[in-house]
Amino acid sequence: MMSKIILSMSLCAASLGLAHAAHATSELDYLSDLPIVLSVSRLPQRLDETPGAVTVLDRAMIRLSGARDVAELMRLVPGFQTSSSFERIAPQASYHGAFTSYSNHLQVLVDGRSVYSPYFVGSTEAGLQTVALEDIERIEVLRGSNSAAYGARAMLGVINIVTRHTADTLGVALGLASGENGIRDARASFGWGQPESSFRLGVDRRGDDGLLGANGKNAINRFNFRGDIRPNPLDEIQLRLGGTQISAGKGGDPDRPDDLLRDQAYDSSYVQLDWRRILGPDEDLALSFSKGQETYDERLPPVIFGFCCWDVDVSGRSFSDAVSVVHTFRKNSDVRVVWGGEWRKEQVNSLGLYSTNELFTTNFSRFFGNIEWRMRPNLILNAGALAEKATLIEDAVAPRLMLNWQFNEGQTLRAGASKAFRPPSTFEKFGNYQYFLNGVSQGNPIRSSGRALSEQVVSRELGYLGSFAHVKLSLDARLFHEQISDLIVLSRRDYKNSPSFDVTGLEYQLKWQPWSGGQLVLNQAFVSNNATDEDHAAAAPKRANSLAFFQKLNSGLNLTLMHQNSSLAALPGYNSTGQTTSARTDVRLSAPLNLGASKGEVALVVQNLGAPYADFSPRFQFERRAFITLRVEH
Amino acid sequence: MHAFSRLITLLACLLLWAVGSVHATTLVVIVSSERSPAYVEAAEALVSELERQGVSRFEMRQQTTLEFQKDGAGTPRLLVALGALAAQTVAKTDPRYPVLCALLPRTSYESVLQENGQRSSAQFSALYLDQPLSRQLELIRLALPAAKNVGVLWGQESKSKESVLKALAATKQLTLVEGRVSGDSLLFPQLKKVLADADVLLALADQQVFNPQTIQNILLASFRAQVPMLGFSPAYVRAGALIAVFSTPEQIGRQSAALAKDVLQGKGLPATPLYPSSFSVMVNDHVARSLGLSLEASALTARLKSAESAP
Repeated sequence: MMSKIILSMSLCAASLGLAHAAHATSELDYLSDLPIVLSVSRLPQRLDETPGAVTVLDRAMIRLSGARDVAELMRLVPGFQTSSSFERIAPQASYHGAFTSYSNHLQVLVDGRSVYSPYFVGSTEAGLQTVALEDIERIEVLRGSNSAAYGARAMLGVINIVTRHTADTLGVALGLASGENGIRDARASFGWGQPESSFRLGVDRRGDDGLLGANGKNAINRFNFRGDIRPNPLDEIQLRLGGTQISAGKGGDPDRPDDLLRDQAYDSSYVQLDWRRILGPDEDLALSFSKGQETYDERLPPVIFGFCCWDVDVSGRSFSDAVSVVHTFRKNSDVRVVWGGEWRKEQVNSLGLYSTNELFTTNFSRFFGNIEWRMRPNLILNAGALAEKATLIEDAVAPRLMLNWQFNEGQTLRAGASKAFRPPSTFEKFGNYQYFLNGVSQGNPIRSSGRALSEQVVSRELGYLGSFAHVKLSLDARLFHEQISDLIVLSRRDYKNSPSFDVTGLEYQLKWQPWSGGQLVLNQAFVSNNATDEDHAAAAPKRANSLAFFQKLNSGLNLTLMHQNSSLAALPGYNSTGQTTSARTDVRLSAPLNLGASKGEVALVVQNLGAPYADFSPRFQFERRAFITLRVEH
Repeated sequence: MHAFSRLITLLACLLLWAVGSVHATTLVVIVSSERSPAYVEAAEALVSELERQGVSRFEMRQQTTLEFQKDGAGTPRLLVALGALAAQTVAKTDPRYPVLCALLPRTSYESVLQENGQRSSAQFSALYLDQPLSRQLELIRLALPAAKNVGVLWGQESKSKESVLKALAATKQLTLVEGRVSGDSLLFPQLKKVLADADVLLALADQQVFNPQTIQNILLASFRAQVPMLGFSPAYVRAGALIAVFSTPEQIGRQSAALAKDVLQGKGLPATPLYPSSFSVMVNDHVARSLGLSLEASALTARLKSAESAP
């Protein structure tokens, strides 16, 4: 391998030398060698060749949706449920049901770094808020189990957020939003540098008054820095760091006297360093280091009973350290291999949740590999597996086999099976949550015996991808059977595994451009679930529809109409007795702004034109929110 | 005995070679800018093609530019200059024999003409290395039928082709999305502007725009913008361009041989320089696949050839 590196370096040096010798254009421009730029790992798999269903939300769609955060965008992905409540730190998104009030069965990655929180029972809510929407290039939503490539937690799917390259965001960009529901969003982004070394610093704030009936104001403050450096044609270095602060009110359930009105504050920061080296025309290596920390602050206000007071505090901290190495190569034009390993350390500390000041440490080691084998020009087999070893958790192997058959030009059938898992979180393993009165324990609402095993899912799917260019129509359908076993539930103050059940159904996305400048996106999901546990059975609606229509109008105007509705389902923050249907219609109209050298856009967004609907809990209502956004780039 | 007969044979060969090189008239002299593989390949193809046509290897001589400067070319029936440096060096000597400049792009040839006050004629002409713009546009039409907006970055040298490309694009119902690069720092903003509206980026050789330092940024930015690039050499395709049409040094050598043969038969060189009639198309299959395209280089070459031979 070393000799290959030296060879490619000398090849590049030779080509550089040739170019320097020639100042005027000559035959050398036609005859000289060039460094490989689009190396094997820079070229993504095509959607019809990936081992699973993928919905891509690109920058245009993100902007046209009028959404204010990633969770809200998941409304455009078939099979997803969302909530805009801050009751669990931040808005949430889940696929085929959250099954708990936290969404913890998805992996969320931001530029390859897991932002899954190891705090509480594991959650993705805060992680979805890591970056401002305007910094996102695209979001790839991998619908379906994906532990074979992404490890524990990618049990039901992956939300892969890819931020914009800094070379594409040079200059200053400003954004503002203001309107009903106390919406006050602001953003500033500064990009500088050369194409070989470019940087971006963005700061932003997202704030509103939250759901009707919920406790008060929500605010998210963020900063994110990204630097892309290419010291030579073979290496690429990326440095990222950032921080998120979320503050929101919660509580106030009249049925639960202990759910007092209170504030929660969440604070996280991270640093990430990535290095990619091109080893040859068909081979490269990526190394990644990251470090993150979270602080959570939430305590009940002391309740005065005469002169005594309660001390209930779930505040605490978590730390994550990760190192990963990925080697990608093409063995020949028909075989592409990705393999690597990840070492991850997660630490959690909370006196309130564990009744001890101990720092609980879990070490994960993961090894994974995937072979993409083009058996015939139109037949691709993806075979992969991931093996994970973690402290005090049973070893797990997540295999996957998927066959993609392009049976006709633009039409692909996909069939396969995979196994995925989610190990119990530190809290589900060691939680020992107590109420204190004058320093004396008054009860133990949660005391984990540590007996819960990893949750598992065996997923089988049949997919169809069709593109009918002559009528400008494309269809992505997924027929699935997910056998979920050992789901971890809280039962009699302890975390236990529950009996297995099946989630079966069909979901599809149809995209159609009926006329010039117009696009129609129809999503439908039919999900059935035979869980005996009523709450699990009602976790996802049996039928959910979403229709989005985007139309370019004259003089640069853009119109968006979106409607979503779903049949009865339990809300994530309430049990199955509070099942509800929901319907929401959004509209957005934007006009371009041309201010000399600056360009921008002004838009009017109205979310939920109709009647308020219940969100997260029957107590909370999503009312109409009309707001204006302004975006200027220089 | 055996060793003795081998020695005799060797001596005989040496003698023949000596006699041949002294007495055979040099019909064709080939002057190469340098002795690197591309020039050797072109020269070899030229020699073997002429040999196949009945010209003896002893009637051809190969030199580098340095050797030409030192020894001169004598009085050949034709001199073939391979590369811009060779063409320039030969032109400066004001040769009395026909000169065919080959393996050099049109812009290089035209600056040789300008610097030496020459004009193309039956005595001094060229076979270009670069492809006619019409061929490149036709390839865009064949490979990317949906592409309507063709991005171009004009540099100091390539901008001479602007009016021709514009006129050609109009005949093929293509619109140009143009960027102008006048200094190194201006490349990137111009590129971004072009990529915002272009369906394909047509790379035209110009040191100011496309060089090993800039190619990374250009290819990465165009890939991020999902705008495929049509390059002008196989190296561009290996680096990450979707497709390229080009003539290999071997193809240039063979076509030069055909022109040389005409001169040896008493005809002149073509008074108007020629673009190569023999060319290749190369596709980066991995890039094509990730863009959702299925392109076959051989089929595209054939379609391009038949489109050109059509009246």
